[in-house]
Amino acid sequence: MRGKTILVVDDEVHILSALQRALRGEGYELLTADSPLRALDILKVRAVDAILSDHKMPGMSGLELLARAALYCPKAVRLLLTGWTEEISPSQVERLGIRALLPKPWEDAELKAALRAAIEP
Amino acid sequence: MVEPPPSLSGADPATRDILQRLGLEVEILSLPDAQACLARCRAEHIDLVVLDLRLEREAERVLAGLHGEGPPVLVVSHDAREEVALDAFRRGAADCIVVSRDYAQVLPQAVLEQIASARATRERKALEEHFEKIRRFSEVIVEVIPVALLIIDANRRVVGANPEFHRLFHVREYDIVGKLLDAVLPAELLENGGIEELLVHTAQGRSATPRLARILDPAGEPQRVFDVRARPFDDHGGVLLVLADVSERERLSKRVGDLQRYHENIIQNLNSALLVTDRGGRITFANPIAQHILGGAPLLGRRVQEFFPRSSRERHLLLRTLTHGERYRGIETVIARDDASRLPIGISSAPLLDAAGTRVGAVAVFQDLSQIRELQHHALQSEKMASLGQLAAGVAHEINNPMGFIHANLFQMTEYLSDLRRLWERVEVLQTTLAGTEVPAVRDALASLRELSQAVNVEYVLSDFSKALRESQEGSERIRHIVRDLRHFSRGDTEKCELFDVVKCLDSTVNMVATMVKHTVTLEKSYSNLPPLRCYPMQLQQVFMNLLSNAYQAIQERQRESGSAGGKIRIRAEQRDQQVVISVADDGIGIPEECLPRIFDPFFTTKQVGAGMGLGLSISYGIVERHGGSIRVESKRGEGTCFEVLLPLEGLPYPTPEPAA
Repeated sequence: MRGKTILVVDDEVHILSALQRALRGEGYELLTADSPLRALDILKVRAVDAILSDHKMPGMSGLELLARAALYCPKAVRLLLTGWTEEISPSQVERLGIRALLPKPWEDAELKAALRAAIEP
Repeated sequence: MVEPPPSLSGADPATRDILQRLGLEVEILSLPDAQACLARCRAEHIDLVVLDLRLEREAERVLAGLHGEGPPVLVVSHDAREEVALDAFRRGAADCIVVSRDYAQVLPQAVLEQIASARATRERKALEEHFEKIRRFSEVIVEVIPVALLIIDANRRVVGANPEFHRLFHVREYDIVGKLLDAVLPAELLENGGIEELLVHTAQGRSATPRLARILDPAGEPQRVFDVRARPFDDHGGVLLVLADVSERERLSKRVGDLQRYHENIIQNLNSALLVTDRGGRITFANPIAQHILGGAPLLGRRVQEFFPRSSRERHLLLRTLTHGERYRGIETVIARDDASRLPIGISSAPLLDAAGTRVGAVAVFQDLSQIRELQHHALQSEKMASLGQLAAGVAHEINNPMGFIHANLFQMTEYLSDLRRLWERVEVLQTTLAGTEVPAVRDALASLRELSQAVNVEYVLSDFSKALRESQEGSERIRHIVRDLRHFSRGDTEKCELFDVVKCLDSTVNMVATMVKHTVTLEKSYSNLPPLRCYPMQLQQVFMNLLSNAYQAIQERQRESGSAGGKIRIRAEQRDQQVVISVADDGIGIPEECLPRIFDPFFTTKQVGAGMGLGLSISYGIVERHGGSIRVESKRGEGTCFEVLLPLEGLPYPTPEPAA
């Protein structure tokens, strides 16, 4: 909870900005990446406690990113934030070990609660 | 009896006198000498020459000249000696009369006898010649005729046969004469051909019809066929059998029959309509499908031009086939039936030619395209829906992202506003606290603050800020719902049977319709809480869309007809016993009573041509049926319509698991 690092990934910078706003009071250190490659670069040099990623991004999908992230940072909890919840099968989510699937647009309270629950062991 | 005038010559007046008495029937010519006589005999027909032997030299010449040929000669002798007569006979005389007491009687008698005898001889000769000609004629016929002739006697033994018989039955003349018929003709022929019967009838003198006798091959097919006839040949029970080998004719006949049946089969079973016309366009042949498609009165004799609307280009094309022999392939056109209904068809036409290549008419093949049109329409609709779906999905996505942060930011802003408000309240408390201050700097600062807060109208700003944020959030919510509905609409590829909230399905359709109709019609929704049921959500959505669209159109029509504005569509979803009931009721123009039984029929429509083929309700009906449900309608012309869709409470049953291998 306190002192935890969260990596937020979305190709839409305003979303990153809104997410930062939403999570401001939670006491996390927030790292942002506006592309999957940038996110992987960060993961190569930093260990994080949670990764919150968008799904539809150019170059690599969120699912793919989260799958790869598991290799770099196996201990990080992974969450997917997406407007396309119907397109993603629950079995896929389970198989990849993704902790939560959050819809876009999100409710701040819901988002904060999901993160808290995910990070707290 | 008319006799040809005989003539004779002779110098003796007595003879002449006697002969004169023979009368007019006998013409007498007197000639001076042998030369004249011979000339006369050569020139014309003389029946008898009477010669006086006393004209020795002349008589001799005549006898010599006529010897063997020409008319007979009767010599008259005055010498009674036998040698004279004998000599005369030797020299070729036919008779010799000695002048005697009876001369006057004897001579005429002899003359007449000779004439008669000569005549008889002539006639016999003519008859013989005639007979010879006939004989030769029949001989030729019998030899040459390509028909087998066989003559048998009363004991059925072969008397004779013609060469054709020998050829056909591979026998030789000397082999068969005297043999029994049974030994000569193949047994099969005698048995199968009814030849026995034929012979019996003929023997009894009854006329017998010709019959066909067949010799079959091992496979039972006719190998050789004979046309057999019989006639009594003589009075002794002899019979003439006539056998003609008609195998080839039979074979051809059968082949023609087979070909005819073959073609008949093809034509009758052709999947397309076939018409054959003469040069004027009059139908000379129409297969069953053509009759069926064109319906109405029988087609034979009618002009094919009747079925094409007067103005159509295709009528002219058809005429061009008839007049110019031009061919057309796959022309799409509309044909007018007897009941004035129109049918889309695809037609190909070609000229019909006779063996010499002359154009004698036209052949046209056509198909009813209405089913194809329906499929095309359907496919087009599906495509439109698919691309529309794709568009909707794309739009939804594009909108979704910005909506994500707008929504979040609005929320955040309410938080911030709340913070600022609290801050302002503290400022106000501060203001009150410092109100009685003596410090001029503080008093100025307070005055400046008061002034600014009045100029800015801070109270208003704070409350309106809050209001604006609230309203923006509402807008953001609405956009969220629209996007959600659009996404529901665009989902088409995963059409699997799933547990789905039917009310959600209904509502998203209603919302979509609402955006389209918002100014003209009111939508009244009334949903109960219903459990999800197993169904194909997209298909049900199609049904709801269809009903809502029909309701809307009905209201529009009523508005047009009565000039009244406004209208209401009431949508309900509730549970009734073990069923889910979804009803769509409108106050539109209603459906006339006589149309009600047919509204679910495919192609039934009361709309104008081109405004829809009338498939929507039939498709909806099919979808509801497939869900194990039913669809009902109640309507009154001028008042409105109510459609009810009833579905089993749990929807479709789960599929039974496959037995393990």
